[in-house]
Amino acid sequence: MALLSRVAGRLYWGARYIERAEDTARIIRAFHELAIDQPGPARVRWEPLATVAGTSVDLTSTEPADRDGGEEAVLHHLIADRSHPSSISSCVAAARENLRTTREVMPREAWLVLNGLSQQVDDGAATAVSRQFRDRFLGQVIGDSRQLDGVIESTMTRAHPYRMWRLGRLIERADMTTRVLGVRAASLLVVDAGVDSESGLETHLHEEVQWMGVLRSVSALQMYQRATHAAIDGAAVVRFLLFYSPFPRSVQGCIDELRTVVMALPSPQAVIAALDHSQTVLDHCDPIVSDGGALDDAMEDCQRSIAAINQAILERFVEW
Amino acid sequence: MDELLTNDGRPRSHAAALMEALDTLGLERLRERQQAVDLDIKAAGITFTIYSDGLNIDRAWPFDIIPRVIPGEEWDQVSAGLVQRLVALNRFIDDLYNEQRVIADGVFPADLLLDSVNYRPQCRGVHPKFGVWAHISGSDLVRDDDGELYVLEDNLRVPSGVSYVIENRAVAKRAFGELFEHQLIRPVDGYTDELKRLLTSLAPDGVANPQIAVLTPGVYNSAYFEHSFLAQRMGAELVEGADLVVEDDDCVYMRTIGGLEPVHVIYRRIDDLFLDPEAFLPDSMLGVRGLLRAWKAGNVGLANAPGAGVADDKVVYAWVPDLIRYYLNEEPKIANVPTYRTMYEEERAFVIANIGDLVVKPANESGGYGIVIGNQATRDELDRTIEAINAEPRNWVAQPILSLSTVPTLVAGGIEPRHVDLRPFILTGASSYVTPGGLTRVALPKGSLVVNSSQGGGSKDTWVVDTTADTWPRHQGWSN
Repeated sequence: MALLSRVAGRLYWGARYIERAEDTARIIRAFHELAIDQPGPARVRWEPLATVAGTSVDLTSTEPADRDGGEEAVLHHLIADRSHPSSISSCVAAARENLRTTREVMPREAWLVLNGLSQQVDDGAATAVSRQFRDRFLGQVIGDSRQLDGVIESTMTRAHPYRMWRLGRLIERADMTTRVLGVRAASLLVVDAGVDSESGLETHLHEEVQWMGVLRSVSALQMYQRATHAAIDGAAVVRFLLFYSPFPRSVQGCIDELRTVVMALPSPQAVIAALDHSQTVLDHCDPIVSDGGALDDAMEDCQRSIAAINQAILERFVEW
Repeated sequence: MDELLTNDGRPRSHAAALMEALDTLGLERLRERQQAVDLDIKAAGITFTIYSDGLNIDRAWPFDIIPRVIPGEEWDQVSAGLVQRLVALNRFIDDLYNEQRVIADGVFPADLLLDSVNYRPQCRGVHPKFGVWAHISGSDLVRDDDGELYVLEDNLRVPSGVSYVIENRAVAKRAFGELFEHQLIRPVDGYTDELKRLLTSLAPDGVANPQIAVLTPGVYNSAYFEHSFLAQRMGAELVEGADLVVEDDDCVYMRTIGGLEPVHVIYRRIDDLFLDPEAFLPDSMLGVRGLLRAWKAGNVGLANAPGAGVADDKVVYAWVPDLIRYYLNEEPKIANVPTYRTMYEEERAFVIANIGDLVVKPANESGGYGIVIGNQATRDELDRTIEAINAEPRNWVAQPILSLSTVPTLVAGGIEPRHVDLRPFILTGASSYVTPGGLTRVALPKGSLVVNSSQGGGSKDTWVVDTTADTWPRHQGWSN
């Protein structure tokens, strides 16, 4: 069954956008959970959250920024800001537009799920910035995105359209996992270190809790606990998220599935070559997982190699 | 007149079951169902597009929950009339592009053809399969006070609306399931199968398993929902011009991830002039260079054939009864509205003298644009119209003001009569098919006669209802 290159591109981007919305929701939710464990204002700085999502928020204009640690500004940016192309709201709208224009190859139910989510996001994104509605909203984004893949897994023919969809999901997911690791717990959850002016106590969040936050932001905490028997430890977490291929959100797991999917597409040599390169870069990360700064650099290398896979996919299947 | 109620407000016999059910339900619960329907339409993403709508490119399709009901026996006659009409019109188009017998025999004036904006000289001498040019057409019908259905115009180029016929029924079934249980309502969703069968029959000779594509102007086109819908239902590719290429072998290919793949039949929803920059408008970005060449070489089937629009102009309309007699030797089975042709001095004088009692229409506009309704226009508008007629008499026709029939409709104040028209869709190939019913469009503002969805019109499900199983055919719509 033939697949138009234009349609292939739309499927690929549709999958990337909905995955980005879902992953962003996971990261915000994990951060949100840690933040509410830190009572009082100004304990948690929220800007690093934007860094994970690959953007930054200028807090200088939000007066007084310190009062809520940038919570409202950052969350507006990440959830509801339609002028920011990677906000959940923008991603869901872009995914919907891609599905609206590929309905002839997608199962009807998949469209119904995404169209429904899109309406919920239009109605609820603005209020989801507040703590009261946030968790429910994020849960809906994650749940509907999973339901969408459930429909696709159970009702879509394993043919080229399905494969392009998988490619989009996997590329975006691998990229997000490297981002979470790259910013690492150290900056993912920065609680103002130093002495609290009121209580005089030193405020410092236990490192273990921060690593749990990292695992939660890719929904890996429980699976990590099952796979490792020791207490939570930074190096082990990094190793799990990079190399533990049985876990589907690990970078290795994504690369393995990308390889399987790409092999079933026509003339995939150039994409395979990009995957091989990515594997080499990933293997090179091994000895440095416990060094923060080196890990950050290594994750940037990984992201560049993933961007190269993306480019190879587009050049081979979409823009030839 | 009202389609469902007599003048003293009693249900007509074909609508008795429906009206009784509405009474039993009561206004409050009917409103609840209407709200459920609106949500259903939004959730299913049944949309249409308004160009001037800025960011909001697709809008929920407006649907009124109270259906329009047409008796089966009446529909059988209408249907036979439409088949006859389209067979004659196709013979006419084929004749115009080939022998032009109709002109030689003095039935149709030669200078009309020369002036026609939809005549495509590039198509001279082409013999499409079955001699058919307008494979998919939609004719607009209205019911006058005399109770008779008249053909108001024929749309032979890229008529749209059939997807809403099918979606309206699906929505109505979900909202009103219990009514379908006790009535013989002819199903409508066989259309896409019939369309697929027709398109398959247009494949070049020797192609056993043709690749069918629906050619859309793109995702922002006002009818994109329908293009997508038809591709989904037929399992066809939905292509844009840039997806297709005509190679040196004069065959059409599409750009797939595996390279170029042949395309055998194209249901094109792009206007003639934009179809092929090599043959028509050279700066068209929507079309496919060389498509006409491929079609003429017999390497691709095109529906509708380029040039089919020559017969859907509102001036040609006036000749349709003569064309039916000329080609088929039959009397028309469905009525034409009496039409005055301003190109003739005598008829023009009549139109200008009586313009306040007539509807004046530009010959080649669609969507209700440019229509002047004599008894609703200001003197100034009428004067400007007369000026336009005198400037280009070939471009106008006029008809008596028909009173469109009404159907009870749920509006803010309760259930009130609103004016409707009807667009059935006709497939013509080796044989013919007519949708049972069609798209009922309803003018929602009180007293309004403008039914176009682009100008505030809504829609209704249309039920062709049989009172006995005798007239309820198993395979609706087919005739030979």
